[in-house]
Amino acid sequence: MKFFDRIRELRSRRFFLALAVLGPGLIAGNAGNDAGGIATYSIIGAREGYGLLWALILNVVALAVIQEMAARMGVVTGKGFSDLVREQFGLKVTLSVMALFIFANLTVTIAEFAGIAASMELFGVSRYLSLPGAALLIWFAVVKGSFKQVERSLMVISLIYLTYVVSGVMANPPWGEVVRQIALPSVRLDRGYILLFITMVGTTITPYMQFYLQSAVVDKGVRIEEYRYVKWDVYAGAFMTGFIAFFIIIATGTLLHPAGVNVDSAEQAAIALRPLAGQFASHLFALGLLNASFLAALVLPLATAYGLSEAFGWESGINRTFREAPQFLGLYTAFIVIGAGVIMIPGAPLITIMFISQTVNGILLPAVLIIMLKLVNDRSIMGEHVNTKWMNIVTWTTSIVIIALTVLLLVMSVMG
Amino acid sequence: MPFFAGDIFISEVLNKPVLDQTGDEIGRLKDIVVGPGEPFPSVLTLLAVSGRETYVLPWDRINIFNRRVISVAAYLKDLKPAAAQATDILLSRDFLDKQIVDINGAKLVRVNDLKLGEVKGKLCLVAADMGLRGILRRLGLEARGEKFLSLFRYKLPHKLVGWNFVQTVEPKLTRLTLTVSRQKVSKLHPADLAEIMSEISQKERRALFSSLDVDTASEALHELEPRVQYEIINEMTTIKASELLESMPPDEAADILGNLPEERAQQLIKLMEKEEAEDVQELMEHEEDTAGGLMTNEFLAFPPDMTVEEAIKELRLAAPDVETIYYLYVIDESEQLKGVLSLKNLILARPEKRLEEIMKAPAKTVALDAEEKDVAEFISKYNYLAAPVVDENNVMHGIVTVDDVLAYLLPTASQKKRRRL
Repeated sequence: MKFFDRIRELRSRRFFLALAVLGPGLIAGNAGNDAGGIATYSIIGAREGYGLLWALILNVVALAVIQEMAARMGVVTGKGFSDLVREQFGLKVTLSVMALFIFANLTVTIAEFAGIAASMELFGVSRYLSLPGAALLIWFAVVKGSFKQVERSLMVISLIYLTYVVSGVMANPPWGEVVRQIALPSVRLDRGYILLFITMVGTTITPYMQFYLQSAVVDKGVRIEEYRYVKWDVYAGAFMTGFIAFFIIIATGTLLHPAGVNVDSAEQAAIALRPLAGQFASHLFALGLLNASFLAALVLPLATAYGLSEAFGWESGINRTFREAPQFLGLYTAFIVIGAGVIMIPGAPLITIMFISQTVNGILLPAVLIIMLKLVNDRSIMGEHVNTKWMNIVTWTTSIVIIALTVLLLVMSVMG
Repeated sequence: MPFFAGDIFISEVLNKPVLDQTGDEIGRLKDIVVGPGEPFPSVLTLLAVSGRETYVLPWDRINIFNRRVISVAAYLKDLKPAAAQATDILLSRDFLDKQIVDINGAKLVRVNDLKLGEVKGKLCLVAADMGLRGILRRLGLEARGEKFLSLFRYKLPHKLVGWNFVQTVEPKLTRLTLTVSRQKVSKLHPADLAEIMSEISQKERRALFSSLDVDTASEALHELEPRVQYEIINEMTTIKASELLESMPPDEAADILGNLPEERAQQLIKLMEKEEAEDVQELMEHEEDTAGGLMTNEFLAFPPDMTVEEAIKELRLAAPDVETIYYLYVIDESEQLKGVLSLKNLILARPEKRLEEIMKAPAKTVALDAEEKDVAEFISKYNYLAAPVVDENNVMHGIVTVDDVLAYLLPTASQKKRRRL
């Protein structure tokens, strides 16, 4: 019967519907390797060699657990993170979380524009040309509505980071030593080491990515029966991030650490790609950095504007006019203008800015995590899908460790 | 009768001390319980909390209720701690900070504050505040905020929406106010309704959708993106779903059935009325993005020798069941398309004329397998409201209306992804 053949044919498309729920996890994971991420991992490898690899591995486990929580909340409640915070914690908590959210995201956005400036300078383009150009391009890419395609192509280009894996292997690191340092780390409690640690947590587990991930999952309208696909998507994303970060640290740890290079410029960071690309190392590095920064500079202002509109019930959507959605478009535009503007202040130290932004995120992360834990363990919201015991152990440990380290860092800074 | 003056915002009374007759503090005002009322929910009891104890204070025992003093005609020592019932509707817990539908503005908003006022001698929930003013008031900064903003010559607007123009989306609350909500939501245009539905969670959507009447539901369903349609139909009982599909134009029903699992689609089609089911099945045989897939097979067709007078009479009978009545197609007994005339041609013609005398022939047509883009170009080129679809033998199969291709050219927000993240 012709009619049911037709249905069968349509049904074969269902397979693609299952594929359609994939993506948010991979994107959210990958965004950990943005401008700030590359700078941070490069600095960690250069300063500490393989000394923080053990922490990276633990970090990636925590990332996987936390992102899984965000995705699960999205699927079960059908609401974004800001929605839930507002509905469950009321106005005052929402206001404080949102203030932190704006501040953290703004620093990261500035860092992304720093990444754009630094990479274009490696190509010999002045930041006074590249930044206004990039800001306009980003603004139009989103407002003109071709955001989805831009995002997808940038995701594909970000595969360029796999060159770090090749480069790391070609650098011929002493694998025995790498394994020894992972298994038997020599932990220090000095200021530099703790700062690097917090910054690494902040760059791997970005607060804004949890917002993004949850909204993206809600957006896809994933049903609970399809949740297992999302879970693997999230885990795969976390693994990819960790895998690339691991080899950035291996490459910089092998090539820069013994030479005592401190990485305060993009040229120095690019040395890590020399075994693979030789004299083209800096161009390859610049291309990857440009791509990552551009992607994040595109997503961040948008994610912030959406998050806030959700919390306060403002009209949102990029196809609205300024008149219809003044707060949404105003915020979005302000983020891009400030992000690009700060970097155009003469003499702004680009790599340092990227690094600091990750530190701020590391400090703010516990606040987001504690709220997340309260929500995800609330049976009236999550029903049977609350956290298991071991998930709570991993996340509480992560939060407590970060809080303890932050306090320690503050105390040490005050004591000098 | 308690004494209350003027309008009170809930943010102004929450956490205020509640006193007994002698002026002793019973506790702090924690929440206010309301009962269903028409059109405004009225206050039933106040909940005061002191330490771990909750006191339920009936409204008729309240002496004074204003933003400075709340007092009860009772003595603290006579009161016994109690708890609110699970089914009670609590203003602060259930409405504050939640999303509601503003029926007039046809959009989803967040409740920043709630306004209480007197209606027929009772204190009722009269409006929701969804503006910045409400946020500032909650923070106790209304006056200062107003002053500060006036420095920038910005006048802080009052953004209130009357509770009679509000629809809750929380499933628990929708069930409690079902009769009222049905009327309220049906006032919304289906397209606006669909956009709101695409913005709320699955559970809320299910609740809101089940409160609609069949006509509104079927129109709203058509506007939603395929994934959401699938989800809604999949969760309905088979009988309800088939009723819904029956009341839709066959081309829209076919689109939705095409996205359902085979078994479910078979079930639904079997339950539909025979005639409707045949129409739908016929349409499902065509590729989705061709003229055949886009068209509907409900159109007006008359024989060439019919007179204008008869045609107008027939038109009146047939019109309720078809989507487009602006074109009348003239077909012979073998269903071949002979010509077309517009409603205007028909009305202006002399009653005794036969249709073949006044029709435009040959009619411009599109082929069954014409692509979506070509159909859109055809309609745009000839400025038609609908294009007749014919096969290789010039047999007419259906019409593609302008709104079908318009959705292709400019999809509405609810048909696209909610966000572009």
